[in-house]
Amino acid sequence: MPDSQSVFQPATQDDLAQFVTENATNARRCLLPIGGGTACRDAATDDAIEVRLDKLNRVIDYPARDMTITVEAGIRMAELAKILAAENQRLPIDVPHAEQATLGGVIATNWSGSRRFGCGTIRDYVIGISAIDASGKRFSAGGRVVKNVAGYDLCKLLVGSRGTLAIISQVTLKLRPMAETSALVTLTFDSLCQVDAVLNRLLTSATRPMVLDVLGRMGTLARPNEETGRSAHPPQLIVGFEGASRETDWQIETLLAECRPFEPRTTGSFVGAAAEPLWSMLRDFSIGSKSSVTFKASLPPSRTCEFLRLATETGIVAQAHAGNGIVNGHLPDRVSKAEQAFAAIKPLGDLVRSCGGHLSLLRAPSGWPALDVAADSWAESLAWAQRLKRQLDPHNLLNPGVMAFGPA
Amino acid sequence: MTQSATNLIPRLRDIVGDDGLLFNREELLVYECDGYTVEKKVPDVVVFPTSTEQVVAVVRLCNELNVPFIPRGAGTSLAGGTLPIGGGVMITLTRMKRILEVNVRDRYAVVEPGLVNVHLTNHLKETGYHYAPDPSSQGACTIGGNVATNSGGPHTLKYGVTVNHVLGVEAVLPDGSVVQFGGPCEDGPGFDLTGLFVGSEGTFGICTKVWVRLTRNPESYRTLLGVFETVTAATQAISAIIGAGIVPAALEMMDQGIIGALEAAFHFGFPLDAGAVLLIEVDGLEVAVEEEAVRIEAICLENGAREVRRARTQKERLLLWKCRKQAFGAIGRLSPSYCTQDGVVPRTKLPQILEFITDCGRRHDLKIVNVFHAGDGNIHPILLFDERNEDQVRRVLLASDEILSKCLDLGGSVTGEHGIGVEKISFMDKLFAPEDLAVMKSIRDVFNPDNRCSPGKMLPTAGGCGTEDHPHKNHPGRRAAM
Ligand SMILES: Cc1cc2nc3c(=O)[nH]c(=O)nc-3n(C[C@H](O)[C@H](O)[C@H](O)COP(=O)(O)OP(=O)(O)OC[C@H]3O[C@@H](n4cnc5c(N)ncnc54)[C@H](O)[C@@H]3O)c2cc1C
Ligand SMILES: Cc1cc2nc3c(=O)[nH]c(=O)nc-3n(C[C@H](O)[C@H](O)[C@H](O)COP(=O)(O)OP(=O)(O)OC[C@H]3O[C@@H](n4cnc5c(N)ncnc54)[C@H](O)[C@@H]3O)c2cc1C
Repeated sequence: MPDSQSVFQPATQDDLAQFVTENATNARRCLLPIGGGTACRDAATDDAIEVRLDKLNRVIDYPARDMTITVEAGIRMAELAKILAAENQRLPIDVPHAEQATLGGVIATNWSGSRRFGCGTIRDYVIGISAIDASGKRFSAGGRVVKNVAGYDLCKLLVGSRGTLAIISQVTLKLRPMAETSALVTLTFDSLCQVDAVLNRLLTSATRPMVLDVLGRMGTLARPNEETGRSAHPPQLIVGFEGASRETDWQIETLLAECRPFEPRTTGSFVGAAAEPLWSMLRDFSIGSKSSVTFKASLPPSRTCEFLRLATETGIVAQAHAGNGIVNGHLPDRVSKAEQAFAAIKPLGDLVRSCGGHLSLLRAPSGWPALDVAADSWAESLAWAQRLKRQLDPHNLLNPGVMAFGPA
Repeated sequence: MTQSATNLIPRLRDIVGDDGLLFNREELLVYECDGYTVEKKVPDVVVFPTSTEQVVAVVRLCNELNVPFIPRGAGTSLAGGTLPIGGGVMITLTRMKRILEVNVRDRYAVVEPGLVNVHLTNHLKETGYHYAPDPSSQGACTIGGNVATNSGGPHTLKYGVTVNHVLGVEAVLPDGSVVQFGGPCEDGPGFDLTGLFVGSEGTFGICTKVWVRLTRNPESYRTLLGVFETVTAATQAISAIIGAGIVPAALEMMDQGIIGALEAAFHFGFPLDAGAVLLIEVDGLEVAVEEEAVRIEAICLENGAREVRRARTQKERLLLWKCRKQAFGAIGRLSPSYCTQDGVVPRTKLPQILEFITDCGRRHDLKIVNVFHAGDGNIHPILLFDERNEDQVRRVLLASDEILSKCLDLGGSVTGEHGIGVEKISFMDKLFAPEDLAVMKSIRDVFNPDNRCSPGKMLPTAGGCGTEDHPHKNHPGRRAAM
């Protein structure tokens, strides 16, 4: 971080609004909202101010029986989870570095993990929001009730807006009851082709999975099978269930029976506490690598295995939320130059582009050019997104350059 | 009709053909209002485009001649969403009703906006999947209308509302350009403009195509009818069920007033002397639902239920749901006219709001019955009256206003699913601060800078009722068109 960059850490939402207002009327320096700072990023300009939101972490109201909570956006995810757990409730979004990551950061990045197949994403849980725009104006949308269609749904607009439209200061969430128990079933197969066939079969499974993840290559937990001498890193399908014990037990049995005809190489099932290490591994996949380049891709779920096949051929370690067509991948450690990385990603980008998807870098060494590949079908919507950005932040003060509005 | 509108007709005919437009006064009368009948206004012309290209051409022409335009689906809005303020062209999408693609592997379908909601679910029958949002009006309302109003329904308690099931939309924006927001792939680049578009009540443009998420059918159901002596006991049971960590698929309440009408209409065997009944459905795997149903029965009984009945057959289950979904239709037996409200309160505040409604009815000498999405705290008090009795109409409007204001006092909202439309526009500045409305307006300005598309909807005009012919009736009040 360059020395000239200063930091502002508001203690209250009013402080924040006042500071942003003063900045907008006077110096007009760029503002970089920071929650837990777990999503690394380059400073936009030397002259920018980091706005650290982690002191805005109060619980405003928690009417547990209504299954909603209103909190300030700087609250850490682990802290939030602890408060909810005391009432046997939860926000079912899997976030790495939960001790550090903040709710505002999760919302701004629209981060999601394995449970998104069964539980949806943060977009489905934010029912009310307050934020401060670049001029310092504090505005709210939605409310504190679980059903509400009054006014435009600015909650949706701010989810995934990467801090480029407004600084999120307060949020009301809809909550879920804690599941009685959860379980993970792992199945390894000889090829991604087989995994694809199994995924197809599971479309009409008698079970109702919460998680449908596929780990390509070294992402798998399976140890090399020395006896058979087959590929040391076979693709692995991980299916998750939640519910009452009887329900999850029945689902494990049923799933294994349904998959038997596909002759999985190995299978395993993990229930309750025994599944915890595996849940952590799934949750932390995006940070669990020494690789310096991590990307995220989205494509139709039916193309996921094809994508993984291309990725593993290049030595990429990847985790797919296969039910949703979301893939996180780490480039091999040896890739250290931008040209090398972009060449490795090119075939993946081409595939994504050809099927309506999107690929962007989550993490890359500083100084690398941005990489954001989107199918042509997104072009007009990006142009409208840019118009909205100009309308709400005409001087481009909030996280300039963070959101890619045009094809890279 | 204005001069520009006269020029309009031959040119519109060139776009949509002879049988694609209506402009005779008598024919237009059908379009003078939707399910909100308190305010009426005929458009100058109604067009029935059959393609996105036709919608584009109509919108461009309206811009050229400076004529307002407004999209309409089936016209079941209960908030006056399709009231053509300022006249102009009504673009009715009901002829664009094809199912363009069903992709079970990727769990989506692509449909045109005029498709009737239930037709999609019927079409999906063999696939093991369905389209989850199920407004009570699903036999008539269109998916485009659902997208515009972000419709809910009885099963939104577990499955969420329309926005949770829309992956993308194609829209003709007010400037006549065609844009695709979202699509079959999740997590696209840029902002979530799909999420922003859903619920914008036609003020951001005209939806011409929708990518909807398909949801796996539940394996089993248990449908229960809890019979309670009082409304208060029933609301306590609701709190206890949710408090126990059970999320039923649906949790609907009907009070004594509506039970009588339903029984007369459907002969289900509802107990006429009960204070309230709860229609509770749990769905999921067979191994799980029985256990949940037993727990719910116990909780109901602990909270004073007189008895808990079960739908024993699929036929009984469907009859129960028919009673619930056609409850509004049965009201005709109670009263010549009625007006239903759509307030929301935090679930735990249900006893307070229901008490207030009873008291409000007493004070204004009005009969008010209740049938609503209790699990979500989304009330639908139905105020019965006779349209010919002016004093009654006045009292209905007053009572409605008081009930919605009370919802706000209790931390709720004035609309859970029917939308603001023109009906509740006067509540917007009670719900939102001037800054909130300013930001919303600045966003509308991006898409709809001249406010030529659906003028006078959703956002109040600065300085009051604004738009030239918006009646100064800033009170809610409506009858559902049945
Ligand atoms: C591009 C990207 C890169 C990522 N890289 C990593 C990584 O390297 N390691 C890792 O563990 N996880 C990474 N993640 C996941 C990330 O950790 C999670 O999304 C996490 O929830 C972020 O929370 P945070 O509080 O740490 O956010 P931060 O890292 O502080 O901020 C993330 C983004 O959100 C904005 N933001 C934060 N709070 C607010 C607010 N209140 N209002 C408006 N904008 C706000 C920031 O300006 C920044 O653009 C990445 C995610 C994305 C989208
Ligand atoms: C008996 C009855 C029961 C009801 N139950 C429910 C319920 O359970 N849940 C619920 O949410 N609602 C309910 N409603 C309200 C109503 O059915 C919904 O709001 C529905 O979504 C409206 O659909 P529609 O096709 O009739 O739209 P319309 O009434 O024609 O239009 C509604 C709004 O959407 C806009 N619009 C329509 N089509 C488009 C388009 N293609 N592009 C852009 N904007 C468009 C219109 O301009 C208008 O603002 C009920 C209504 C009745 C009469």
